[in-house]
Amino acid sequence: MIVGAIILGCLIGVILGVNAPIISYTYSGYLAIAIIAALDSIFGGISATLKGNFDFKVFVSGFFGNAILSMLLTYLGDKLNLDIYLAAIVVFVNRMFLNLTIIRKYYIEKIWSEKKKKTN
Amino acid sequence: MSEKNKFKLDKSKLAISITIFIICFIIVYVMCIQFKTVDKIDVAEIETMRENDLREALANWKEQYQETDKELKTNEERINEYQNRIESDEEAGELLQDELENAKMLLGLTNVHGTGIIITFTDNNDKYILSEDLLKLINELNSAGAEAISINNERIVSMTDIVDVGEFIVINNKRITSPYTIKAIGDLTYLQSALSIKNGFLDEYQTNGYTISMKTDNDVVIDKYEGKMTLDYVK
Repeated sequence: MIVGAIILGCLIGVILGVNAPIISYTYSGYLAIAIIAALDSIFGGISATLKGNFDFKVFVSGFFGNAILSMLLTYLGDKLNLDIYLAAIVVFVNRMFLNLTIIRKYYIEKIWSEKKKKTN
Repeated sequence: MSEKNKFKLDKSKLAISITIFIICFIIVYVMCIQFKTVDKIDVAEIETMRENDLREALANWKEQYQETDKELKTNEERINEYQNRIESDEEAGELLQDELENAKMLLGLTNVHGTGIIITFTDNNDKYILSEDLLKLINELNSAGAEAISINNERIVSMTDIVDVGEFIVINNKRITSPYTIKAIGDLTYLQSALSIKNGFLDEYQTNGYTISMKTDNDVVIDKYEGKMTLDYVK
């Protein structure tokens, strides 16, 4: 059911997104940082699930909260003439790599142990 | 398997599915918009420019816009000035035109009409009309204040010559023959009384046996001088 929800959400998102109007170049920067924040939340959620300490409330609040906060920070940086969004990107991408490492390690160990079981 | 149990403990599976669906939808939708936006704005210059550079460029453009706007305003003012001048020139032109018309009328270069008299002078068996008779008549008319005179539609102007050439009279280098119709525009009473006074022109010529008659007309039409008026020696 959850997998179905993911597939359906992605499908409808693509269909509507392709037909959506483009936005002003000025605001595309905000959208980009929001996307990075959301992706970070998703990878964080996946790694938490694998670790077994996934909390749905934390995931949802992080998903929206991080996106909105990063956009606000970018706006603040615009007003201060300071590229704050660079710091946000560094943090988000750093965390994404960390989470990806956890995910990778988990699956490598899983596959490795299965192979060992088979050989045993 | 343990996490699935945890899901069930936290919330119902349906609510989670719906939330995940919304999240997936939002992220994919926004990403699609972003991809499209970035794809559309593929001007290499803008892509490679830093935002600060763009802002600087924007400021420059704004300055340039203001300068151009100022220039436009001054130009518009100048155009207004020129237009005013053109209008005053047109007024002057109209005055000149009026003066020209007046001068032409005085010279006899326009068709004119007005109150006046028409004299018919005809050769008969006894008397032939000569140029000097016509000249005398013209003199009489001028002294009576005639403003325009023509003989057989030949306008009498300052350069008009009236001469006898053989059996004909030549006016403005054109032969004319009897009957002579002399038209004159001017004050009716002056013209009439000057000619028909006792021992005046009409009286004198009629007693001498000429065929001459005069009638008044409220709208005598006199054509313009057809020849060319050129000045070669007057300076």
